[in-house]
Amino acid sequence: MNYQFDWAVVTSGKYFEWLVSGVVVTVKISVVSIALSFLLGLVIAVMRMSRFRPVYWFAHGYLEFFRNTPLLVQIFFWYFGSYKVLPDAVNQWLNAQGFEFAAAVIALTIYTSAFIAEDIRSGVRSIPKEQMEAARSAGFSYVRSMFYIILPQAVRLTIPPLINQFLNLTKNSSLAMTIGVAELMYQARQVESYTFKGFEAFSAATVVYVGLSFAITGLMTLYDRKVLQPIKVR
Amino acid sequence: MARKTALVIAAAALVAAMFGSALAADTLADVKKKGVLVAGVKDSTPPFGSVDPNTKEYVGYDVDFIRAIAKKAGVKAEFQPVTSANRMPMLQEGRVDILAATMTKTPERAKQIDFSYTYFLTGQKFLTKVGTVKSLKDLEGKAIGTAKGSTSEQNVAKAVPSAKILSFDDYPQAVLALIQGKVIAVTTDESILAGQLGKLEKNPASKGKFEIPDVQISEEPYGLGMRKGDTNWVKFVNDTILEMEKSGEAKKLFDKYFAPDGDNPMKRGTFKITADERGIK
Amino acid sequence: MDFQVVWDNLSYFFVGRYPKGPLGGVGLTLYLAVVALALSFVGGLILGLLSISRNRAVRWVSSSFIQIIRGMPLLMVIFWMFFLLPALFGKGMPASMTVITALTLFTSAYMSEIVRAGIMGIPKGQTEAAVSTGLTHRQTMLYVVLPQALRNMIPSFVNQFVSMIKDTSLAFIVGVAELTQIATQVNNRTMMYPTEIFLFIAVIYFVICFAFTELSRWLERRLAYTKSI
Repeated sequence: MNYQFDWAVVTSGKYFEWLVSGVVVTVKISVVSIALSFLLGLVIAVMRMSRFRPVYWFAHGYLEFFRNTPLLVQIFFWYFGSYKVLPDAVNQWLNAQGFEFAAAVIALTIYTSAFIAEDIRSGVRSIPKEQMEAARSAGFSYVRSMFYIILPQAVRLTIPPLINQFLNLTKNSSLAMTIGVAELMYQARQVESYTFKGFEAFSAATVVYVGLSFAITGLMTLYDRKVLQPIKVR
Repeated sequence: MARKTALVIAAAALVAAMFGSALAADTLADVKKKGVLVAGVKDSTPPFGSVDPNTKEYVGYDVDFIRAIAKKAGVKAEFQPVTSANRMPMLQEGRVDILAATMTKTPERAKQIDFSYTYFLTGQKFLTKVGTVKSLKDLEGKAIGTAKGSTSEQNVAKAVPSAKILSFDDYPQAVLALIQGKVIAVTTDESILAGQLGKLEKNPASKGKFEIPDVQISEEPYGLGMRKGDTNWVKFVNDTILEMEKSGEAKKLFDKYFAPDGDNPMKRGTFKITADERGIK
Repeated sequence: MDFQVVWDNLSYFFVGRYPKGPLGGVGLTLYLAVVALALSFVGGLILGLLSISRNRAVRWVSSSFIQIIRGMPLLMVIFWMFFLLPALFGKGMPASMTVITALTLFTSAYMSEIVRAGIMGIPKGQTEAAVSTGLTHRQTMLYVVLPQALRNMIPSFVNQFVSMIKDTSLAFIVGVAELTQIATQVNNRTMMYPTEIFLFIAVIYFVICFAFTELSRWLERRLAYTKSI
């Protein structure tokens, strides 16, 4: 048995369409999770900096727990394990929506938000304390000064590590294949099992993932050069 | 490092040539030489292959066939868990010497690997909650669970094109999705479904809630999988299973796992292991 | 919730089929992580040094290699290794070796960045001083820069170990009987307790990873302290 390359399998026809639909699902799942994890990350970061103990401890526990357990286990937990925890009505509603997509989004969002919160927090710490003091003495409340004065600056400084987290999230979304979400990796494997052309199918998926990450890394370098360096030098 | 990179690139380009030729050796001689037969089996698909929680040993219909073949060759049997999705690569890449993993013989697969004669015959059906599915019509537009890379997945897509197929790494996960209402049915071979149903019946929480309605969408002859062109090995395995039929051992194995009063009642009917070409022609 | 299923299978979760069969469960998870981390340390060091080599071609090739690996999901690297390794080295390589290779390749790429940053973090003056005392470039690297850089990198290495432990869960995909795979097996067998099972292994992973995260923080404080003296 000699391996015959057949690139046509992945560049046209039915299997090409499968791969494209996989890319679409990967992008969908990533975009939704990125938006949600950013918002959740902001909230957790603010909670983590709160001086109100219970809030602080909750955020602290959240960060440590979700950063220190594998994403795959979290995906399994949300998909198979949350069933017993949620009320029946919620389960039925979720199932009608196609729970596998939601479970993947929930897991990716929670996992990534923990990392994002830490990045934002270190961004905030690099903003001089005087800014907060100035804002407070100008009559802003703590929360308002945080959201209007400190966070906008911190987020700008945090953009490179954030983009990195988003890239990781996109790559991590490949784990959603384990619960039947038909994203890119799932489709690549489908093509393999239908055509036995694993080499071609994996190559196609690799090109998409690596291409995406090169493009984003490129943009990040540009951002660093055009936006961040001028601020830093000042 | 540059050399390593070059190696990887060269490997990528040459993977083709090396693929088959390196592996097309004589497995029978190999197995005898190393004294162990490494078989790919399912590890959570009773009654075919599963790990006994008490003894931690592999048990099942597939497992016993391998033990018989190993015994005939005078070697020890070793088991490597495989899934529907990874079993063919596991075989082709030489991680296992033979597959006994509830694998249906099909013409497409027969182009990639060689099959033994049919050692088990079943048909593809559905496992559902009692009363929800009476005919294929009831499945239209619904979510159906199955396993990645299985013939079940390909058959059901043809039989119910409007259904949404959710493929998991293996059947038990699909059954779990059924229990939780994430799919309306799980589809695969009746024999596997019977094993899953048996498990559900044993649990008080699910007893009497599930059934396998009489809706069949295909015939599924199981074969043991071996690498393409491994002629001696295929012949040895075929001779062994024919002998098992003749001596009555094959029937005994069937009765051991599929007895009418057991966990997975099934009828053997007129099926016998013969020099057949089911599925591959 | 009913955690009886966990107690019934406790030894299976921790050691798999051992001693009747190969080591599995938590034992295999730790084994995979330790071996792959040791190899990645070497791989990361080599890749990191090559990526700051004075030879432009070497630098370019190693950097592209690092970038490509970092652009891929780990799952993809595992599939590739699963596919390519037997073609390269012939049959009979156990699946756990494939996973170790994939983890090593993947983590080496990340390690190399740590190594590079560590080396860049050593003040230029040190290199200049070393060279002016007559050491060659290689000697300077080996005896002056690397020992200090490595010391500063220790916390990052420990952090990588935490990532590695989490990453071993992906071995599940290719049927290696580490903790996540064992959990799926038990879950497949018992059917009714996914919540309990996945919660349980999440806690196990957490305990192991959190311990090392704390170790890394402690080391960071300690090393920072002694450095300032």
